[in-house]
Amino acid sequence: MSKIINSSGEEADFTKPLYVPIKRRSFFMYAGATAGATALLLSGCNDDDDAGVTPEGTVNVGSGSVGVLNYAYALEQLEAGFYTALRDGTYYKGLMAGSAEKQILDDLYYHEVIHREFFKAALTRDAASAMIRSDLQPNFDGIDFNARVTAAGSAKLGVLNAAKAFEDLGVAAYNGAGRFIATDTAGLNYLVAAGKIVSVEARHAALIRDLVSEGSFVDSDVVRIGTDGLEISKTPAEVVATANLFLKEGSKLNVSGLV
Amino acid sequence: MNILKLLADLAAVDSDSFERISGRRVVLASLGQNGRRAVAAAVPLALSGVLTKAYGRRSSTVLDAFSLALTLEYLESDFYTQALASGLVFPGTTKTVIQAIAKHEQDHVTFLQRTLRESSVEVPQKPKFDFTGSKNATQPALFADVFSNFSTFLKVAQLLEDTGVRAYKGQVENLMTDNDLLEAALRIHAVEARHAAHIRGMRRALGANVRYWVSPLDEDITTAPTAPVYADENAVKQAIVTTTDIILFPLDTATGVVTTTKEKAEQSIREAFDEPMTETVARRIASLFIYA
Repeated sequence: MSKIINSSGEEADFTKPLYVPIKRRSFFMYAGATAGATALLLSGCNDDDDAGVTPEGTVNVGSGSVGVLNYAYALEQLEAGFYTALRDGTYYKGLMAGSAEKQILDDLYYHEVIHREFFKAALTRDAASAMIRSDLQPNFDGIDFNARVTAAGSAKLGVLNAAKAFEDLGVAAYNGAGRFIATDTAGLNYLVAAGKIVSVEARHAALIRDLVSEGSFVDSDVVRIGTDGLEISKTPAEVVATANLFLKEGSKLNVSGLV
Repeated sequence: MNILKLLADLAAVDSDSFERISGRRVVLASLGQNGRRAVAAAVPLALSGVLTKAYGRRSSTVLDAFSLALTLEYLESDFYTQALASGLVFPGTTKTVIQAIAKHEQDHVTFLQRTLRESSVEVPQKPKFDFTGSKNATQPALFADVFSNFSTFLKVAQLLEDTGVRAYKGQVENLMTDNDLLEAALRIHAVEARHAAHIRGMRRALGANVRYWVSPLDEDITTAPTAPVYADENAVKQAIVTTTDIILFPLDTATGVVTTTKEKAEQSIREAFDEPMTETVARRIASLFIYA
């Protein structure tokens, strides 16, 4: 257990909990007063595997900096889960070994798993008692893992269209979530970390869009042109309206604390 | 800068003036080096002394971040404008793409100028740019054929876009006290990342060994002057830092973060995070192309 990285060729470890034997630091040691009160509230009612599950059966991410971390962790779980399922699907398995698209989908899968595990490590260290569950259950019934792109007339998304939806959604979500991070030292570090990740998500989004349709990397549905050149930004409520379509009952996200 | 700390400082210095100004974004947002002059002009003389006392402890702020951003957007905007006006041959449909990118950069310039102006801050003038890096033929060029060789043009474009991504990221500390400006900067930052990925894809299509994200496997296109563009970009460990503790991700004791070969896992971890760049480094890179 002393290796940073499992160097085996097996693919079995993704669903296992990450072993993180670090000391848990008190959130109150560095969080601001408001965030501290939030953590108290959350840890007061959620201190076991059901952390974050509200009576309605949704997964409440909480509020403040920890809420944003949970929110990001949930979205990264969804993205990583998508690429995991994709690699188990017919389309991916039919790709030639060493083909450009296979390499790209592999890279995106690795990046998203790393992002997911990064947030898990940060939450485990900083706010373990308020962390959402690590096993959000995706619902990919709306995705056809046999199809590269959405077939004409099909109600199901092709894998690249689904990837595009997830990557664009991820960028818009990070853009809209920065404002909920507390302006304290911990918040700054989370903001920097999110910033390091969101630009990689934007690179993914651009690449996937170009694979779907070359040159569509900054189409007007994602970047406003002729006014301020800003990428779209979505509120947490807008994001989960989409994200929850891809999550099973009991794993649907509640972002009522991020307002 | 921590706005709460700042307000606490200000309240401690002069609680009366604190109450009068604390709700006014224009004042809070105008605390940059240039901005302090604007504040001094905008508020009664006695109060400005208080502001200088409280705010003078911080060296850079929200609007300083926007001033840096404007310099970088001037740089990118002028780069594409000059390229499109030059005799450079754009193969295939690439001209349409470059025109779209150029338009975004112009939009960013306009947006940043407007924000600075509305915050009563002096808007920095557009410098003069020489994208060969010869400072208007006063020194040897870094990229002599930037506007006559499409491959060189794309290399410089990649360097500028990746610099933009890193530089915006480096400003979040200064931006985090103003949610609206933070969000605007994040939204520009994401667009720069999309540009960077596409430019990298264009280079890849021409046979360059480069990925859509910054990878340790990318062929090195820097020389000594441009080396800072990717310096410290490929961290194999991410620090999760607080005031009292630092841990590194992946944890030394963790297993299963990525299950693949060690080499591939390390490569992916380096790729999965874009690293910030300080204002000093960003300005040093920009200065390679500025001659007046």
